[in-house]
Parts: sequence; structure tokens; C-alpha cells
Amino acid sequence: MQIQYLHWNAAHGWRRADAFREPPQLVLYFGSREQLLDGQRYRELRGLYPDSHIVGCSTGGQIHGDDIRDDEVVAVALRFAHTQVRLVQEVVETRDASRACGARLARQVLAVDLAGLFVLSDGLAVNGGELLAGLTEVLGPDLPVTGGLAGDGTRFEQTIVGADAEPSPNRVAAIAFYGASFRFAHGCAGGWDVFGPRRKVTKALGSVVVELDGEPPLELYTRYLGEEEAEAMPGSGLAFPLRIHDEAEPNRQIVRSVFAVDRNARTLTFAADIPEGCTAQLMRANFDSLAAGAGEAGRQARSALSDGVDGDKLAILVSCTGRRRVMGQRTQDELDAVAAELGEDFVRIGFYSYGEFAPPTGSGRCELHNQTMTVTVIGEAAA
Amino acid sequence: MTTHRLLARQIRQATDESGQVDLTRLGELVSAAYEESDRDRRRTDRAIKLMIEELEQTHKRAEQDLLRAREFLDSIIENIPIAVFAKDAKDSRYVLLNRAGEEYYGMPREAMLGKTPAEIFPENIARLVNEQDRGVVDSGTPLFLEGHLLDVGGKGRDRLVNSRKLLIRDGAGAPQYLVGVIEDVTERITNEARISHLAHHDALTDLPNRSAFNAALGERLELAQEAATSFAVLSLDLDRFKEVNDVFGHPVGDMLMRSVADRLAAEADGAFVARIGGDEFMILMPDHVSREDVQALAERLIETIGKELEVDDYLLHVGLSVGIAFYPDDGVNAATLLANADSALYRAKREGRGRVRFFESEMDQELRDRRLLQHDLRQALEQNQFVVYFQPQARIDGEVIGFEALLRWNHPTRGFVPPDRFIPLAEENGLIVEIGEWVLREACREAASWPRPLQVAVNLSPVQFQAGDLERSIHQILLETGLTPTRLEVEITEGVLIGDFTGALHLLRRLKALGIRIAMDDFGTGYSSLSYLQSFPFDKIKIDRGFISNLEASPQSAEIVRAVLSLAHALNIPVIAEGVETEAQRAFLAREACEEMQGYLVGRPDLIERYLDLVGMTVERRHYA
Repeated sequence: MQIQYLHWNAAHGWRRADAFREPPQLVLYFGSREQLLDGQRYRELRGLYPDSHIVGCSTGGQIHGDDIRDDEVVAVALRFAHTQVRLVQEVVETRDASRACGARLARQVLAVDLAGLFVLSDGLAVNGGELLAGLTEVLGPDLPVTGGLAGDGTRFEQTIVGADAEPSPNRVAAIAFYGASFRFAHGCAGGWDVFGPRRKVTKALGSVVVELDGEPPLELYTRYLGEEEAEAMPGSGLAFPLRIHDEAEPNRQIVRSVFAVDRNARTLTFAADIPEGCTAQLMRANFDSLAAGAGEAGRQARSALSDGVDGDKLAILVSCTGRRRVMGQRTQDELDAVAAELGEDFVRIGFYSYGEFAPPTGSGRCELHNQTMTVTVIGEAAA
Repeated sequence: MTTHRLLARQIRQATDESGQVDLTRLGELVSAAYEESDRDRRRTDRAIKLMIEELEQTHKRAEQDLLRAREFLDSIIENIPIAVFAKDAKDSRYVLLNRAGEEYYGMPREAMLGKTPAEIFPENIARLVNEQDRGVVDSGTPLFLEGHLLDVGGKGRDRLVNSRKLLIRDGAGAPQYLVGVIEDVTERITNEARISHLAHHDALTDLPNRSAFNAALGERLELAQEAATSFAVLSLDLDRFKEVNDVFGHPVGDMLMRSVADRLAAEADGAFVARIGGDEFMILMPDHVSREDVQALAERLIETIGKELEVDDYLLHVGLSVGIAFYPDDGVNAATLLANADSALYRAKREGRGRVRFFESEMDQELRDRRLLQHDLRQALEQNQFVVYFQPQARIDGEVIGFEALLRWNHPTRGFVPPDRFIPLAEENGLIVEIGEWVLREACREAASWPRPLQVAVNLSPVQFQAGDLERSIHQILLETGLTPTRLEVEITEGVLIGDFTGALHLLRRLKALGIRIAMDDFGTGYSSLSYLQSFPFDKIKIDRGFISNLEASPQSAEIVRAVLSLAHALNIPVIAEGVETEAQRAFLAREACEEMQGYLVGRPDLIERYLDLVGMTVERRHYA
């Protein structure tokens, strides 16, 4: 596999090294909603790579190497020697349709030699947990699926995804990799700690929590954030994700962060369904623990990648917008931590998301995460 | 000195391509970093403060929950009506005692808590308690003492308790507490005993009952079969007890029964005496008592019971009949032995009561015959085996004035069965109601067909008075047959008035109101006929045949007949003498002004065909009517 990194900024447009002799099969790009929404970046890339699948999404910040590039669009072009790549996409009209959409995508890519799936999804209009449930339903729990939900800074207004087209809302794209040479590994960790008493989700409707311990959840968050910071909900609410304990699956690690606020009903919408009756506990983190969590994700991905990879290796970092918001200028500490664990021989690209897809440690089935760093590494073995 | 990683990054970000540091930019970055740091610290501080508050609240709530749970459990333990205690497993010091426990030990808990058994109880009890405690602690096995007598405490020493002690270990498995419960089971045990006694004893006499007797007999038979012993079973029946009950009432009857039971038990000391029914008793004799000794005992029993008994100021007189069967000669199982003792008893009663009879094999036959007869009796009515005979009744000068209807049973194989054999059987099984109605209907129909308006007398059984609607059925029969009520005379014995005296009197009055005549039958043979004469205006008195047949032989009989006649005349009640067979008897009765007579001298009981001339019918008319 060969990788070409390229980036765009307003001052100089696209910059890249020399083009491949043969066209790449896949181009991945990440930028802010403003940078991508008018479709100009896609059209430019299409001009550069007329024969490639071009997939990208809006973010809460682009990652290249150790740096966060808010003012640049980052991209990689991938040329596989042996691996086949297919791109499929679906439009999700309502959140309720998320599961069916996942199942339809999976049916389109299902094949004997399917080796991995990387999914980019609208981050607000799609129920990520249901989307993955639909995918897993068809693919089974053992096929590795990673990816993330597109972001919109900390505004939570609109997210867009483009797959061989100008990016638009309500879209889900899945890149399927086929063949025995394809190598796919991942890691996922948070670095958050639970604190305070356990609370009971006394009333919930899907992903909307109506009552926590009989009290509207916005009251709790307002108390913890202070009036001033609470004004900046849901963005400021990312500082306190919820750890969910589901009695039905006691070993499942579920972390959910706030997605939307209804200030009239004083309810909060989370990234995925929260079962009524379960217990929930607030979580918090400091700069060092978050960086350490990211390093753990890098370590998992590195150790999961088998030896004998030939050519370039790509690491796609999908980290949560909430982490960035908590860490501020210290955010780069987590990128340093991933780099330190992965080593210098990976091209690293990625984005800050509204949710991460990866199988958690110790379980094969892919899950939607909030507030984690997930690292997906891709390579090809020698034929 | 190493530069902080963040500062190094900030310097890098503020440095342009020529290596020039933009201080304003750097200042902004550093200031923003401070701001971020402050915000993070404030958020953290706030979170910690809130968390502590919340945890305190949670803790308080948990404490309250705990307190409530504790109060709940305390109140249950305190109020449970079983003594509960807990002791330190090491030294048996009491650490808990509930209210029932205070009551049990007869001291307030303050006197016990924190103290060892030795500091509370007398030395011997403390030693026992300590031994038990050590046993439970050392073995880890619970101690359970059932129904033991209370050995300590204030409830009195006649209480029975169940107690239980068990060991509770701490988290590390070391003995921690001894927990005990003590339940007062005195009531339960005495209740159980009482129930068991009631199940096996007769409530009136407190003698063993039928089921206890059967169990005892079963046991004896088992033993006897192994040890080849012999023993006697006595079946006893009181004579005339029913009359006492009827005449003096049940309270007196009950007292008499208790007194009889006491006498039997005292006389048959050493034997198993049981009351198995109304006036029936059974005695199971010890092994190897000889026939002679059993007979002697039975005779003593008859003598004892036959003595006058004074009960509630009444002098009462009952008798006893005894039947005896021996194991193994008269039966090797309970059913046969009992049946044979009963057969012997039946014979004893038949032979005049107040007797002892040993079982003999032909008695068995007799009893079976009796049962067979009872069986046949049920079919007799449907199969038209009954016949009504008529015996003429006449004035003392010989003029026939009526007939008494008499029931006869013409059995297809046995021929005529004597009334004194089958009527008691029919009374026993209630068939007499149906049969009696049939006789009444036949007699009335016959009488209604006679040209001469002669009287017809029909006997009514006491059973007919007690069962069914006699008044309605007589009324119905009179309507059906068209017989004038004044021509019908019913004969009753004093048995009708014994028992429900008021009810019977009421019924007789209503019959009399219909115009039916009422005659008192068998006068002179019963208990208190005189008082009955006073309470009801009888239309006739019938002197029992026994007095008439003895007229010549016994001066007493003549005196009695004279007395009855003068009494009846004084009361203005005509008298008919029964069983008049000779002219001499008729002449005596005529001298004493007896009004009417019945007997062979006038005519035998026979089919009405024989007396057609007397009722005013010619043979031809009868044939062609």
C-alpha cells in the first residue's frame, strides 16, 4: 500500500507530493463544515483523482500527525496493491431509520473476503448505536467495523458526509476492504473516571433522558457546570459524560455524552438510546488521564496489527469533540501520546467526531462510543 | 531547565517562518491556556464540592434507610411472640433479648444483657446452659430441644418449650454469635393431647371409643397370633336405656350412662372397656381368662348394672345383656369375633334380657337369617306378600261391633312369618311407615265396602308418629276410601307418647278432631300409662291379653283387671279385653262390667271373606258386586 498525504488551506489551496503513477483507489478527506459545505473541495479532489472513490466528512477539528489543523482540509490518497475497495452509501431520512440503514449498507458489502469496514456517518441525524446494530445484525459480531460520526465543532447544528459526491447531511458512507492481504487493527480508550453517586434513569424515551433520580437531567448538569457554563450546553456538557450501567449487560462499557438540550422540557438527548431503569454515573477527566487514554488506544491498535505489513501504514485517529473541548490547548498531548505508542512509521490522519465506532477491548462487536480516542490502522501484507 | 511542553508548543505556534516570535500571539496563547486551566480547575472544584454534597445526601439517605430497616427489624424481633436471644459466642454474654424473652426468663433485659449465664442463673442451670453453648460453638451444629420442661424463668415450671440455638459466624468464618429462639408450646402440646384423647375416647363417659377399641383389638389379635393365646370379647347392651332417656330426658340419660360406664369400668378392672355406640359397650378381656371366669365377670356386670341407680333424685332401673365370643375358637379376625359376640348378645336379648350368652355356631345362622328376613321385607310390599286379617270385636254380650285389622306376611318360601318377628324389623329400618299406610288404606277400603257401619281398628306404630306426615296420610286415605272417620279407630301403645310427648299429643288431638277414635293398646304393661290417661281423652282402653289369659290362674291378674276397669269407669272410658278365649273369662269380665271383648271366643283373625255375614254381605253379593 502506498499513501499520499495532501492538504488544503485558503492561502495556497491543495498541496501534495508527486502524484502516483497509477491512480489510488481511495481518497479520504476531513474538513470543517464551512470548508466542505459548498462542494468545492470535493470537486477539486475529483479533478485530482478522477478514478478514485472520494469520501469525506465534516469534523470538530482535523488531525494530521501531532497537530490539529482547524484551518486546513486534510486528506490521504491510498493506493492498494492487492486489496479491493468498495464504497456504498445510504441516506437516513429519520433517526428511527438508522438501524434499517445499517442493515442495508451491510447487505451491499457482504462478501466472503470482506476484511474490514470503515464507516463515516452524519453525526446528528443518525442514531449511531442503531446504525451499528443494523450493520452487526447482517455482518455478524466478528467483522471489524470502525469509523465515526461526523462533527460540527461544538455547535451541534449540522454535519455532512460525502461519498463520491459533494458532502451533504443525512448521509452514511461505508468503505469496504476485501482480500487476504488487507490488514486492519484498532484500539479504543477513554481515560475518563466515574465520580459521584450512582443515579437512576427514572424516565427515558429512546436517546432522550427525561428524568434522572426523578429530576430533569438539565438541572443536574446546570448544577455541575454552573449557570454560566450551562448556557453553553450541549457543548459544555461534554465535560461530564455519563457512564451507563445496563443490568442486562453488566460488563458492557457504555459512555454517552450530551448531544442536544431541550431547555423547555429540561431534557437532554444523548448520542444513543439510554434504557429506562438503568443506573448512570457522571464521568470526568483531566488532561493527563485523557492523554493516557489516547496512548492506550494507540498501543492497542499497534499491538493488534500483525507483522509482515509491506509498504506504508495508515493510522486514522477518530477522537471525540468532547475531549478536545476539555483539553483545549492541551489536546495535542493526546495526539503526542498516540504517536508515542504507534511509532513514527505510520501516516496519521483523523478528526474530532461526535461519536466513535470501534469494537471495545475484550469484545468483538462494534459499538458506538463517546468521549474516546479510537485508532484504526490499515496496511497490506506482502503478496 | 526544560520548557513545559505546552509552552514549547505555544512558542512554536507564535514563531513565523523566519524564526521571529510574535509576542502578542504568544501572549494570547499563554493567556488562553491559563484561562483553560482556570476553567478546568473551577469545574473540578465545583464538581468535587457538589459530589461531596451529593455523597453526603446519599449517605444521609442511606443512613435513614438503614435506620428504618433497623427499626423495622427491631420492632419485629421485639414483638415476635417467641423468646429470642443472642449471645456473644466467646463467653455466652447476652447481647440481645426481646420482650417475649424477658417474659420467658422472668426478668428485664437490663438484668441479662452484658452478663454471662453464671451471673444470671443458679449454678446448676448456668452449667447446663454453658455446656449447650460450648457444644453449639465447638460443633457448629444447631441445638434443638423439643417439648422440654421450662428449666429457668418466670412463667412457672409447668410450661413446655421448644428451643433452638445456632451459631452465627463472622465474615472470616469465626464464631460470632449464638442465636436462640424459645417457643412456648404448652398450649399446642396439650391441645394435641386433648385432640388425640377426643379422637380415641367417648366424650360422655371418657371410655375408649369404637375406633380405640378396634385399634386395641387389632393389636391384641396380632400379638395373640404370635403368642398363641386366647382371650374373650364381650358385647354388652343396656336394656331399657332408651325408655329412661325417653321418659326422664337426655340429661338424666347421660348421667345414667356415665354412672353405668363407671360401674362397668370398675367391675371389669384390668380389661379394656369401650363404649362403642348409644347403649352398647365392648370389653376386651386379658389373655387366658377362662370361660368360667369370663362368665362370672359377665354375671357380676349384670348384677351391678341391674341394681337400682339413683340419678338426679330418680331411682332408675336398667338391665344388661352380654354376648361373649372367644379368640380363636369363635373367630380369628376382628370382624368375625365382633359379629359373633353380637350374635351371642342378640340371643341373650331375645331370651329375655339380663342374660349372658356365649357364642354358639347356630347363632351365627340365626343372625344371618334375621338379615335375610330384613332383606325380604323390603320386597314384600311390592310383591303383594302382605295380607290384612280381620278379627271381630264384640260387646260383652257377644254382639259384633267391629273388627281389628291385623297385618300378616305370607312369605313365598317361609309361609306366614309371625308379626313379632317382622314388625320390629320393619320398625328398625323404617319400612313400617309405608307398610302401616298400606294396612290403613286396605282396612279403610274394606270397611267402607261393608253394608253394616261397623268399626274398624288399625294399629299405629310409634315410628309412624315420628316419621312422615301421619295426619295428612290418614286424611288422604279417608277421602280416597270414603270411610266415615267416626268408624275408624286407631290403636296406639304408650310407645307413641314416649319420646316426643307434646308432638304426639298434638297429633292425637288433631286426629280426634277429624272424628277418629283413639284407643290405648296393651294397657297395663308399660311404665306410666296412668299419667297418659290423664293427659289425653282416650276413647277406649284395651287390657293386655296377658292379664286375661291369667285370670283363672293368678288372683293378682284378676285384681289388676278389676283395678283397670274401675279406673277406666271412673274416667268414663270404655274398656275392651283382649285374648278372651273362654266363657269363664267372658263371664268374669261381664261381672266386672267390662264393655267389650276380642279373642277366639268371638272369632280368630282371618280373611274378611270368613266374616262376610257379620259385615252384612251375602256371598253372592260379594261375588257379583
